[in-house]
Amino acid sequence: MNETMQGEVTAVAAATGSKDPEVALAAVAALRGLVEVLEALNVEHARAEGWSWEAIATRLGVTKQAVHKKYAGRRFRLGRSPR
Amino acid sequence: MTGRLTDQARRVLDLAKEEADRLGQRYLGPEHLLLGMLRDGTSAAAGVLRAHGVELEAARAELGRLALRGAVATPRPSDADLLSALGIDLDAVRQRTEQTFGPHAVQQATREATRARRRGIGRVPRTPLQGPPLLIGRTLQFAGSEADALGHRMIGPELLLVGVLDDSSKPWPRCMSNRWRRRLLAHVGLPTGYRGAARPLLAAFEVNLNELRDALVVRGVSR
Repeated sequence: MNETMQGEVTAVAAATGSKDPEVALAAVAALRGLVEVLEALNVEHARAEGWSWEAIATRLGVTKQAVHKKYAGRRFRLGRSPR
Repeated sequence: MTGRLTDQARRVLDLAKEEADRLGQRYLGPEHLLLGMLRDGTSAAAGVLRAHGVELEAARAELGRLALRGAVATPRPSDADLLSALGIDLDAVRQRTEQTFGPHAVQQATREATRARRRGIGRVPRTPLQGPPLLIGRTLQFAGSEADALGHRMIGPELLLVGVLDDSSKPWPRCMSNRWRRRLLAHVGLPTGYRGAARPLLAAFEVNLNELRDALVVRGVSR
């Protein structure tokens, strides 16, 4: 029973190209989760490299106030400086 | 959160994750810990469960039925499956970001992206770069206080079972339900009132929680 259940789950996922909202919306949520982490990582990296909020905001396509509000209070240190 | 677990209890946790995955449930609850104990099979906890008629295959099937009844999440595709359907290789993304920024930085960014904030823009409750959420905080807390009472530093599968039983039988304070938790529950497909499903799972085997608890006391793993 469990194998078939697992099989169904995978099959459903494979059909995401289709228009089933159930799966398509979940895929969007997963994607959003990925984007948030990538954005946080890259904003932090850019700040560490000395980029201004304004420069970062321009590249992200938002206002500098928006990016500052979102990230200024939540600075964290990157594990190692990427070279 | 899991720092006090013995190696065997950690194995139970890993097996519990596998069981949740098998059922297509994208979180880890106390009910999965029971499955993990049965899978591991060698601990006194598994012995007590089996002695009360709780077997692995039957418990798996029962958890599947609970999902159909809406007590726990119905099977849903994993994040990796969802993203691969969009043409994104989650493992590749993880590997590349860790290569570029270091695993520590990715971990930090994940925490920042998912942290609850009192004010400001809502963030995502989870990201695909994390494992499934561990909804066993209260279980571990009860297991820990039992260990303290017995003067043990580490928590083995037996104390884990004590934790599951105490968690299922003691009432939840109101403060344990907040906006953040409700959002996380919704994210993994659980009903808002979810408090762990070990109790209905054991009820299906007509196991009395107190009897099970007493059996553990008899075996000397609990007070």
